[in-house]
Amino acid sequence: MKSLVLKDLLNIGHNAKSMLFILLVFAIALIPFSGVEGYIFVCAILCSMMIVTTFSFDDNSKWTRYAMIMPVSKKELVGGKFIVLAIFCAVGSLFGLVVGSIGGLISNKITLDLIGIGELLFLTLISWVIALIFGSMSIPLVFKFGAERGRVLLLVSFLIPAGICFGVYQLLATLGVALTDQLVFILLCCSPLLALAWCYVMYQISYRIFAKQEI
Amino acid sequence: MDSILQVNNLTKQYDGFKLDHVSFSVPKGAIMGLIGENGAGKSTTINAILDLIHKDEGTVTFWGQELSGSKQLKEDIGVVFDGINFYETLTPAKVGKIGRTAYKQWDAHLYQEYLKRFQLPLDKEIKTLSKGMKMKLCIAFALSHKPKMLILDEATSGLDPVMRDDILEVFLDFVQDETHSILMSSHITTDLEKVADYITFIHQGKVLFCKTKDELRYNYGIIRCGAALFDQLDKDEILAYRKDDYQWNVLVADKEKAKRKYKNAVVDDATIDDILLLYVKGDQAK
Repeated sequence: MKSLVLKDLLNIGHNAKSMLFILLVFAIALIPFSGVEGYIFVCAILCSMMIVTTFSFDDNSKWTRYAMIMPVSKKELVGGKFIVLAIFCAVGSLFGLVVGSIGGLISNKITLDLIGIGELLFLTLISWVIALIFGSMSIPLVFKFGAERGRVLLLVSFLIPAGICFGVYQLLATLGVALTDQLVFILLCCSPLLALAWCYVMYQISYRIFAKQEI
Repeated sequence: MDSILQVNNLTKQYDGFKLDHVSFSVPKGAIMGLIGENGAGKSTTINAILDLIHKDEGTVTFWGQELSGSKQLKEDIGVVFDGINFYETLTPAKVGKIGRTAYKQWDAHLYQEYLKRFQLPLDKEIKTLSKGMKMKLCIAFALSHKPKMLILDEATSGLDPVMRDDILEVFLDFVQDETHSILMSSHITTDLEKVADYITFIHQGKVLFCKTKDELRYNYGIIRCGAALFDQLDKDEILAYRKDDYQWNVLVADKEKAKRKYKNAVVDDATIDDILLLYVKGDQAK
């Protein structure tokens, strides 16, 4: 599986410069107006979307067919994509944290006290979680429909988790459960576990789709 | 016959095409050529052998074991398809890094040696390499994890004769070790005439024959004759025939016998190309 992850990182390395440029443009455009928080979130989401690009590269070079003659199982191939996604989300949110903090300091949007730093770190973790949830939805879609159509369906991968969250919120409201700050904080603290559980479900769906395919 | 690869009754049904009970084996130390017209089922056979498509029937074993799920078997099998399977922005150096992490048996030194031998630059992106160089990179990659069996699907197609000759030499070197074998599909039959020990001919999804190359080269012949002599030919001896403008070309399995029997006929040696053409474009008597 290490080879699959390495291959994706080496492939995407070529796009790193253009992604860096885009993120820096967003830094200039977003930080002074929307603050550092929004910027970290945007960085994480944009980087998570690169997972679809790795599928495009694979399609382009007919990589999957070749990977299957290497000592790699179908489970590892699918699992590798989720690891790569987690790395992309981590890189995006950490990049957002570092560049956002620098930009925030320059534009006086943040202060470097203990609470401020804690909030930013917490927000970075939450951005990683949200990007992971959104990105992991795109993986089964791309396995099912291919990279090109999957890219179009990327919107679905953003709408479905958002829809589920909205549904849960409505359900709680119907049941009379008020979303207090404390409850939201507990939910956010649990969110990494929820994201991992979500990823596991997406992994199983992706594997089932991929296992049936002829390459 | 001590075989590395054994294919038994391999069957796969698609809409409008059926790979029909294909059976053959690849002995140790030998190169098996898989020939047939486009769409005959060569690539389907190779895909089924490599477990890339689901088989409807039949078994495929390497050293007596089925491939599916066996990582060790995959270490011992090198594969080259007709194009490069690494993204175009990678370099041979990066491809080597992927190989090192993928294969336990990967020999980085051997990979470097192949790159040198093939004059492949380490840091040039794949997209800047010629088609021949790309194929050489694929072959270097396939050989650097020290496989015992090579499977080549149209690996030499699209290359110029000089480049093909270089690559065929590498394959001949590979089978110098008698525990190694090659299964090589190609529609460039002259390549197979140079290197193959056995020829398996697939036509319309079925194996027409699986014979040693020498048997084809030394025994098979083509009787060139007119209509009068054609009518006198023993139909049981005819494998395939085709009428050109003024001449009948008749493929027979024993050219010496034909020469003795039909003294007025011209009996030529049959190349693999001739055999393929007569089977595919001609009519079959048997």
